[in-house]
Amino acid sequence: MKREQKAGLVLMSPPVLLLIAGFLLPLAFVAYTSLMPPRTFGFTSNITLENYVTAVRESYWRPMAWSVFFALATTILTMLISWPIAKALVRKSRRFATIVATMIAVPVFIAETVRLFGAHLFLMPRGGILAGTINYFFGIDIGSVLFTPLATLIGLLYIYLPFALFPTVLGLSQVPADQVEAAQDLGASPWQQLRYVEVPIASPGIIIGSLLVFVLVLGATSESHMLGGQSAVPIGFAIEQRFNYAQDWPLGSALATVLCLITALLVFPLLSRLDLDRLFGR
Amino acid sequence: MNSDHMLKTLAARNPVRYAGQKGFEMTRRRLLAHLGAAGALALTGAGSRAMAQEDRTLNLLCWDAYADPRLAEMWLKDTGSKIKSEIHISDPQSLNRLRAGETKNWDFINVNDPWAKNFFWPEKLIVDLPRERFDPLYEAMLPKFKPPYARAMSRDGQHLLGVVQRLETFDIAINTDKISVEMAENEGWDMFNNADFKFGVLAYEDWNVMDLCMIAGVHPYKDKTEADVAKFTETANRVMKQAKTVTTDFVQLNLAMLNNEIDAYFCGGTYSIASARREGNNNLWAISPPKGPADGKGGINWIELNSAINNPNPNPRAIDFLEWITKPEQSYIVASGNGNLQPVSQMAQPEVLAKFSKEELDAMQFDTLDKRLAAATEFDIVPQYDQLYDIYAAAVRARG
Repeated sequence: MKREQKAGLVLMSPPVLLLIAGFLLPLAFVAYTSLMPPRTFGFTSNITLENYVTAVRESYWRPMAWSVFFALATTILTMLISWPIAKALVRKSRRFATIVATMIAVPVFIAETVRLFGAHLFLMPRGGILAGTINYFFGIDIGSVLFTPLATLIGLLYIYLPFALFPTVLGLSQVPADQVEAAQDLGASPWQQLRYVEVPIASPGIIIGSLLVFVLVLGATSESHMLGGQSAVPIGFAIEQRFNYAQDWPLGSALATVLCLITALLVFPLLSRLDLDRLFGR
Repeated sequence: MNSDHMLKTLAARNPVRYAGQKGFEMTRRRLLAHLGAAGALALTGAGSRAMAQEDRTLNLLCWDAYADPRLAEMWLKDTGSKIKSEIHISDPQSLNRLRAGETKNWDFINVNDPWAKNFFWPEKLIVDLPRERFDPLYEAMLPKFKPPYARAMSRDGQHLLGVVQRLETFDIAINTDKISVEMAENEGWDMFNNADFKFGVLAYEDWNVMDLCMIAGVHPYKDKTEADVAKFTETANRVMKQAKTVTTDFVQLNLAMLNNEIDAYFCGGTYSIASARREGNNNLWAISPPKGPADGKGGINWIELNSAINNPNPNPRAIDFLEWITKPEQSYIVASGNGNLQPVSQMAQPEVLAKFSKEELDAMQFDTLDKRLAAATEFDIVPQYDQLYDIYAAAVRARG
């Protein structure tokens, strides 16, 4: 082994050990717990697949389907919303970019619960900020989407937009302006510029943003609690129920393992297409 | 060398003590001496144990009111030691945590009384209290707690398991602009069987199971027949589907009532509405239905026991804390902790009652406490809880 390789191994070993201890071992622990009999707390019982059978037979497909739907919808919508904002941030003056980026980034430093409670007050019917204001000025009662799956989706968009926006900005900043101009000079339509120039070059940022939003929303529960009134129960909440009030760690672990597997199935193919070297200009 | 002497030696040689003062110079010899003393102390372990006893933090596994920072400040001022608290989620969850070996992490717990009697004490997770010291505290409580108060004693009646402090009924919160108190009390839980009724659910899920039993007309604390379980299943599916919102945040439910989105919610009580009432929203009102399936009663009365955990390395101040927490100022903080208001058994003492303003007593509907307690059965363990909870959880999942 070369000296550089040895040095690399030595330098790599602390983070690798940390990842094994802090990431892989807990996952293995959860997977093992999922094989214990339901509502038990020991780790020496005979291994069983009963919890997976329950996860399939009982109605856990509902929260799983809602979470996947919310994750997909939020990812697509946040990317669509992010794209024009990101383009403006990259193309416009630094002063404009700083103001817009600050407006979007600052709320990230405020607790999610506080922001969602603000959204609740905004969406409330009658005396709510939106409905009350419209009613006051125009005498129209617009009702409210509060306590519906749409309210959950609005909350998710509100909370997770920055996670899509900033990687997209990073991706778009890799698109050379002269390449776009060249495409224009050669007669490319705006759609062709987007399709053949901007999206391919910005794709590492788009992929990172999409992955961040998708994975975070899969496990999100607060939006459904605070805005959706549990009109659609996400899988994170169903898992939380098993660990807390049901005191059924094995079934909770089985649901968590299934969620991890679904996430891996959807995420790994995208990750394999990610070229970080290109994103960082190496 | 005994540990006290060793501690004094270390304190006397504290290099910081004279740092910067005239006439004190840190030489290599002195530094080595200090390090040697500290090393010897660390090796024996005696010093750390002695210091730990002096300044040991009191660890509370408790409901929110006991995590009020005012209590921690007062305890620090009175004893020089700190309080660290964690708010627990439910009695069974805390039971399992202690079963899993967390007794070494905690000194104090407050749980609903049947859990102390039926699980924590038989499994030696809490210790009993000296009656000669704690019976006088019971004498100073509301009359129903006259010692020996059976629900605070072990099943054989020989051991006192804790001190009663917070108590209340926790059933239904209504908006009196929409439903009169008389009508709500007359209809009771049957209100939620009305297909047009607009209501919310405060997702304290173990309570929801009991409340759904009440709505189904099934005694929550008696063994369920197959017919009872079928009634519970039908009721849970229908009621949870009909609920306009299900949330763990009672502020949202109060807002929803004030905004006419819902007319009532369960589970609710003065614990959940008192802060809104204190803000002037007197149309929010807690009721305990006088009639219901629990031996004729419709309300549920919870009573908490403050107990000392059977820590293998007991905190010498844990028992003192149980007494300290019942003093007038502390009782007031517990009753008003975390911004909520709920009665405490010590309110029988004039000096405790005097701490509450008229507005606070009105906010917690103190004048209706006796009536609500009379309408309520005492909180107990729900037989077949696991089965009923799974039915409830499936009903929640089926909402969307």
